[in-house]
Amino acid sequence: MLGRVPAFAAVGVSAVVWIVLLAPFAELLSQVSFHSIRQGLDQPPGLAPLWTSLEASSIALGAMIVLGTPLAYLLARNRLKAPRLVEAGIVVPLLMPPLVIGLLLIFLIGQAGPVGRVVQNIDPNVFGVNTFFALVVAEFFEAAPYFILAATAAFATVDSRLEHDAQLLGDRPLNAFRKVTLPLAAPGLATGLSIAWARAMGAFGAVLIVAYNPAGLPITIDTSFIAFGLSRALVFALLLIVAALPLPLLAFLWSARARSRRSVQMAA
Amino acid sequence: MSVAEGTRVPGPESAGVPGSECAARAGIARTGQPATGPTLLEGDFVVTRRSFDVMAQISLAPGQRLSLFGTSGAGKTTILEAIAGTVTPRRGEVRLDGRLVNAAPGSWRSRRRGATPAGRREQPVAMRHRGIAVVRQPTSVFPHLSVRKNVAYGLGHARDVAAVLGVVGLDDVQEAMPEMLSGGQRQRVCLARALARPFRALLLDEPFSAIDVSSRSELRDVIIDAVRRQDAVALLVTHDLTEAQAFGHQIAVVDRGRLVQIADADLLVRQPATTRVASLCGYTSFLDCSADRKWALHPDRFIEGDHPDRGIVLSGTVASVQAFGSGFACDIIGAAVSSSADVVTGSPRTRIPVHVDSPPEVGIEWVVTAVDPPLVSRVTGAEEQEG
Repeated sequence: MLGRVPAFAAVGVSAVVWIVLLAPFAELLSQVSFHSIRQGLDQPPGLAPLWTSLEASSIALGAMIVLGTPLAYLLARNRLKAPRLVEAGIVVPLLMPPLVIGLLLIFLIGQAGPVGRVVQNIDPNVFGVNTFFALVVAEFFEAAPYFILAATAAFATVDSRLEHDAQLLGDRPLNAFRKVTLPLAAPGLATGLSIAWARAMGAFGAVLIVAYNPAGLPITIDTSFIAFGLSRALVFALLLIVAALPLPLLAFLWSARARSRRSVQMAA
Repeated sequence: MSVAEGTRVPGPESAGVPGSECAARAGIARTGQPATGPTLLEGDFVVTRRSFDVMAQISLAPGQRLSLFGTSGAGKTTILEAIAGTVTPRRGEVRLDGRLVNAAPGSWRSRRRGATPAGRREQPVAMRHRGIAVVRQPTSVFPHLSVRKNVAYGLGHARDVAAVLGVVGLDDVQEAMPEMLSGGQRQRVCLARALARPFRALLLDEPFSAIDVSSRSELRDVIIDAVRRQDAVALLVTHDLTEAQAFGHQIAVVDRGRLVQIADADLLVRQPATTRVASLCGYTSFLDCSADRKWALHPDRFIEGDHPDRGIVLSGTVASVQAFGSGFACDIIGAAVSSSADVVTGSPRTRIPVHVDSPPEVGIEWVVTAVDPPLVSRVTGAEEQEG
C-alpha cells in the first residue's frame, strides 16, 4: 500500500515532519541576536558553565569508552555469565527517570551509603555531592547505557570469524581487535558515542540532585531562566546546542555513509 | 559411547572387498590412510551443536589431504572449526605437530595428557602460533582492507604479496577494496592470504564455491603444490563429490555429525559402506536382491539404454529363476555394454541377481534397471537401517 503513495506526497510528509522538528531551532535562532549573546556572556558566569560541561562530559565519555567498550564487546560475543541480566542492569538507568537516578546516586557518592562514606573519606571536597566528580558520575549514569547498548550492537555486527582469522594469521587478540574489530565496528561505535555525548552534555535530572554545583550548561540554563527569564536562558541554550550537536551530527552522517558502503559490499 | 571407545564393525572389506575402509556401527570412522611418517594432525573430539553432536577422529600424516564430504549442515565446517580451535569441543582434543591446539575445558583426557612435568595442565597453543591457515567463505576477507593489505596481513612485510597474488590471478586488482571484487575474486584473496604464510595445516571451507569451474583445477593444483612443498596437511570441506575426489587422498563422508566412512576417493564411490553413503555418493535407485543385500545404480557410470524413461537401463538375458519371498530372484546375463570415456562396465557376461514380482521366462531378453556387481553398493540389513 505504501508503494502506491505518490512521490510528491512522500516528499510533502517528510518536509512537514522536518519542519515541525526543526521549527524550535529556527525560533531559537530568530530570538537570539549576536548582541544578546555577547551581553549574556559578558556577565557572570560567562563561559564557565560551557567549560564545566565540556570537561565533565569529556571525562564521562572517556570513562564510558574505557569501561563500556570491553563490557559491550563481551556482551556481543556472549562471553559473560547471565548476559541478559547484565543487559538488564545496563538498561535500568535508561528506563528510570533521571531525577530518581540522582536520588539513588546520593547513596553512591553521598554520605548515606557505604561507597559514599569511603570515597568521601579520601577527600570530601573532591568526591562528595555537589562536586565536579559528582557531575561526572551523574552524566556517566545518564549517558553510559546509550553508548554500551550501541557499542554492543556495533560489535555484534562484526563476524567473530574475522577476528579468529586475524589471530590465525599471527595477531595477538588485542591487535586483532584493534586492526579488525574496531575499524569494522567504528560506525556503530561513533553513533553510540555521539548519542552518549549529547546525553552527557544535556544531563539535567540526576545532575540537579547530586551536582548542582559546579553548574554546567543545563543547570545554568535552568537558573538563568528562573532568575532572568527566557532571553538570558536562550543564550546558554544556544551554547549547549553548538557544543553538543555538531559531533553527533558528524558521527551520524559518517556512520550512515559507512553503513551504506558496507551494505553495498554485502549485496555484491 | 565415547569417541575413544568407538566400536568398529567389519565393512565391505570383510565381505571380500580389499582395501576398503569400514564404517563404525557407532557412526565413527577414522582416517585409514597408512601413515608412512609420524602423525602431524591428530584430532579426537566431540562438539555439541544444537541439533546433534559432531564426533570425529582424524589422524593425518605430513603431506596428506583429506576431503570432508557431505550435505549442507552435516557438521563438516564444525569439524574444521574444531581443528582450527575456533570452536571448543565438549570432549577430546586436537593436536598439530604434537602441540595441543584445542581441548575440552576440564576434560579428563586433557588433564591426563596435558599434565606437564610441573603438574600443571597444558594449555592450547595461542592461535597465532598454531600454524593453521584457514580459507572460509567469501565473507572472511577483511572488508576494510585492500586486496594487498588483506594478503599482507600478519606478514609484517609485503615482499611476497605480489607473487602470491599473481599465482591466484589477482595481480591486477592489488589496490582494490573488497567491495569492488566479485565473490570469486574475494575467495581468491582469502586463498592468497592463507598461502602467503607458512602453515602446517591448511583448512579449506568450500574454497571454490564462487570460482568458475575452469579455474578450479588450476587453483586446486596451487593448493596441492603448497601443501606438498610445506609437508603440511590439508582438509577440504565440500559438498561436491567430484571436488572431494580431485583434492583428497581420502574422502571422509560426514553425515549428521558422524564420519560415517573414510576411504580412498575411488573406492568410496565403488564401495560405499551404507545405503546412506551410497545415496550421498550419487546412487539413486536401490533394489532388493535378497533379505540382507541391496543393489544400487549410479547414474554417472552407465550408458543409457533404450528406455530412458525408466532411468538408466541395461539389457540382459535371464539365466535362471528361483522363488524368493513373495517374488522371484533371477540371474541375468548382461548383454554387451560398450565402454567409453568415464563409463565403467563390467564383463558383458556378468551375472546380475534381480528380485522380480513375476517369474520371467528363462532365455528371453529382459530389461533390468540393475548394474554389474563391482559398481554397486552391497549393504547388509543392519547397516542399511543405521544409514
